[in-house]
This record gives sequence, structure tokens and C-alpha cells, in this order.
Amino acid sequence: MSIVSTLRIPATTIKGISLALGLNLTLLLHGCPMPYEWRHEGQWNSQDQIWLSEQSQVKLRAAQSRVFDTTDRRRTLEGIVATLQDLGFIIEVVDEDLGLISGKKFVPLEGRNFGTDHSYHLYNDQRLLIFTKAYRSWGPFLHRSDLVRLTVSVRQRNETQLVVRASAQFYLRAIEDPVPYQQFFRALEQALFLEAQRVP
Amino acid sequence: MTDPRRWGVVVIAGVLALHGCTTPQPKPDLLAPTEAQMKIRSMQTREFDVKDRSEAMRAVIAALQDLGFIIERANEPLGLVTAERFAEPNYFDVLGITVTVRQETPDRMMIRANAIYNNLPIEDPKVYQNFFATLQRSLFITKE
Amino acid sequence: MRIITRSFERKCRQGVKSVGCTVGSLLFAMQLVGCVTQTDPAELLLLTPESAQNRAMQIRLFETENQVELLSASAAVLQDLGFQIEESVLEVGFLRATKERSAREYGQDIGRFFMFILSLGKYYMPVDLHQKIAATLVVRPIKESQTRREVRIMFYRVVWKGEGHSDNQTIPPGEQKMEMIRDPVLYQQFFAKLSKAVFLEGFTI
Repeated sequence: MSIVSTLRIPATTIKGISLALGLNLTLLLHGCPMPYEWRHEGQWNSQDQIWLSEQSQVKLRAAQSRVFDTTDRRRTLEGIVATLQDLGFIIEVVDEDLGLISGKKFVPLEGRNFGTDHSYHLYNDQRLLIFTKAYRSWGPFLHRSDLVRLTVSVRQRNETQLVVRASAQFYLRAIEDPVPYQQFFRALEQALFLEAQRVP
Repeated sequence: MTDPRRWGVVVIAGVLALHGCTTPQPKPDLLAPTEAQMKIRSMQTREFDVKDRSEAMRAVIAALQDLGFIIERANEPLGLVTAERFAEPNYFDVLGITVTVRQETPDRMMIRANAIYNNLPIEDPKVYQNFFATLQRSLFITKE
Repeated sequence: MRIITRSFERKCRQGVKSVGCTVGSLLFAMQLVGCVTQTDPAELLLLTPESAQNRAMQIRLFETENQVELLSASAAVLQDLGFQIEESVLEVGFLRATKERSAREYGQDIGRFFMFILSLGKYYMPVDLHQKIAATLVVRPIKESQTRREVRIMFYRVVWKGEGHSDNQTIPPGEQKMEMIRDPVLYQQFFAKLSKAVFLEGFTI
């Protein structure tokens, strides 16, 4: 108000400006992403998502790793499989030699208002390239954010210890919050009857 | 309904409708190999002096990667590799390939490639010649 | 998008000269720069000069006999980068990992906003929404040397667009674009991390 009075801008100009602003705002709202799109984080270059900065790597590693005082890989892997199954994951990869277990699960978050989307079930997410040249639908896209993926790896740390690392993807992001991992490791501790320690 | 033109329309519509009703019947030879297919098969197949199947599969994978393919599946027990790529620089057309590796005799391997361009099999022998030339390099020529 | 581009081109060529046509041409001018050329299928399985270049970028040699350790370390590095393992075939040393992320770009949002205004609210451009970034990795013994293994990794991504509309017609979502990642720096970074993880120096071919 004070600026207006000191600058002595005529009232009509102010009205004009506010009208223009209002118009802009409406247009902005129209030309802006839909709520579903809003929930996707924006960036200047989407290629940046391929790499992950060193800081976030270190942060993630600390939250996702635990040390177990055992050398029994087999038993550890079995415990992980059991835990994943308890949590409702569909297990897709189990590689004993590499100590890798990976699974997925769907947490319905989007698209419930439209009922069931049948095209979603026709979508084969195991294929790398999904060729929809003519046919397009919200099919997989409105639901991809529903996908939760979890990869757990077991590696030898030293002669007496194993490192278990669990990394999860949720709503098109890597989970960085340590709490879900704490819960996962608590469940795993119970399955293995072993105490887990943080990686020092 | 006395207007003869109306009747004409009805008749034409009926004929069209009937036409649309016949489903194409599978020909008796649908699942039988044709001569053309046999010819393609011989182009698609090559034998190599390799003893170890997993070595042959690794060479197949390397050759496909050299050609810019993305490996989708590799199944050692079945000797199967599937790969796919876009026909760069054109991103509409898709080129898929399935390669099977079979032990023919203890020291010979039979390798068969099936290339598919936009869901239609490629029947040009040159394509397969090119593929096997790359595979040959990948299998035998030492690097560096 | 490119399919629409084509139809726009066709319409323009047919002489349907209208505002929509002009706007359409403008809209897709960027895409038209990389004009689509038809590839002869017969040439698709031929090695090109770029193949050797890509090979050199994607491969490093490691002085080790331990394939399992190389693969396991590679998986760990990929996990570090937020990838999820999708497939592992130890017999041929094959790993595939993916991560799905948002592909929304501010630049496109801004572009869409201006297109929306320029077309007087008629054109609401679909923008990139979702991407799947993938890596396939193969560890392979080298024939002439028993003690070396080569690691080859390929990064690529598939990007999908959301929906939009043009003249009250909805443009359905799901348009797809694929991209092989050919940025040498990325590959160098990956191999640097892998070298650290296996305590070995990787060297180029």
C-alpha cells in the first residue's frame, strides 16, 4: 500500500495490473500439470536421474545397511526371502551365488476413482521396451507410481560378518527415510534370531 | 417402407453385415512348415566349432551388444538369448532378435537367429549374413 | 509425439492450411530438426564406426578370475545408485537392473504453458512424466587370457509422456521414447566406482 502511495500509480493501472495477474494465474493453473503430474518431482534435466550424487549415495548406504554376526549366507538369504514374503512382496530374483534378492509389490495409490484398469494387467513390466506405437492409455502410467521395489543384497564383510543391504523404490523415488529400513531390519532380525548392527 | 431405395439400403447393409460375420478360417498348413520357411531356416542357422555352450552364449551376447542391442533375456539351460533395439536413428521401428544355441556334436555348436522387424520376420539373407559375421568376430578373433 | 508430427506433416502437405497447421508445425519444429530417416532393415545388423566407439566406452578389463566377485560388486554399485535388480543369470554373467523415476522437466512445463497461451487454450501439450532407467551388465572371461575378465555395461532409458489435449481431443498418455545413454562421463564414473569396490584398476580395451 505504501509503495503504491509513494509511487502514485493511478488506480486504473493497478486495476489493470491485478486483472493481468489474475488472468495469468488462471492461465498458469490451466497450463500447469495436473495433480497426478504435480506429484512427480520436477527437474531441469531428467537425465540427471541416472546418476546419484556422492552425498546421497553415502546417506542411503548408511540407512540401508546392517551388519550381522554370521557367515551363514544361505540362512541369511532364506531369512530375507521369508521376510519379503511376510511383507507381501512378489519375489522375482533370487541369486544365491551373488547374494541377491529382489521383489516387487503394489501399493494402490492412484487411479482408484476409475475402477479397475484392465489394460494394466496386459502390461508386461518385465520387458525393457514396451512398444505402444498406436495404442496408448493410462494403463501402466497411472499405476507405475504404485510399484514398490525392493532389492536386498548380502555380501561378506569380513571373516565373521555379513552386510545386508536393502534398497527400496517407492513412488518413483529411492526411499531415503531410515524408518522403513529400521522396520525391515527388525523383521529380519526376528526371522534370523540375530541382532543387527549399523555399519560403523 | 414402400420406397424401393430404402429396401436397397437395407439389402446392402445386410450383405455388408453378413460379410463382416465370417471369421477367417485357419488354413490347414498354418502350423506346417512351408518351403519358404525351410529356406529361411537354413539362412538363420550356422554351425560353429565351439565346445562350450556357455562360451558360445557369451559370444552371442557380446555380438548383440556390439550391434547395439539391449539384452532382455538370457537363459543358459535353454541356450536362449532375446534382445531388442530400436532401428536407430528411427525410433518407430523395432528390431527384435532371438538366438538359440544348441549343442550339435560334442565340439560343434548350432546357432540360430530369428530376427523380427516390427513383428514381421526378416527374410533377407543378407541380414543374417551380417549377424553371423559379427558373431564370428566375437567368437574367434582375439581382441587388442 | 512423433506419430502426431507425422500426421501434422501429412496434413500440411495435403494443403490443409489452417491456423492449427501452422501452430502444429511450430510445436513440432524441434522434433522435425531430427527428421526421421527410414533405416534399411538389411543394414541393421551391420557394425558401424560408432559400434567400436561405444564398445570402448562400455567395456573395462579387470585383472581377476573371480567372476562372482565382479558381478556381486557391480550389483552393489548399481544398488548404490538406486537401481533395483531385475534379472540375474550367473551362468552367462548377466545382470539387469532398473530404476523408475520421474521424468518431469521444468523446461517442458514452461513450453507447455506458452503453447497453451499461444494456441489460446486449444493445445495442451503432453509432457514427459515417467522414465525407466536401465542398465544391463555382462561379465565375460577373455579368451586368450585366463586371468582377465571384461565388464560391459549399457545404460539406457525409456521415457513416457502423460496426457494432453488438442482442440477438445484428448491426446492419450503413454507415448514412448527410448534413448541409449552415450555419455562417456557416466560410464567412467561407474567404472571408477566398480574399481574401488573390487580393489582393482580397470583398464580400457
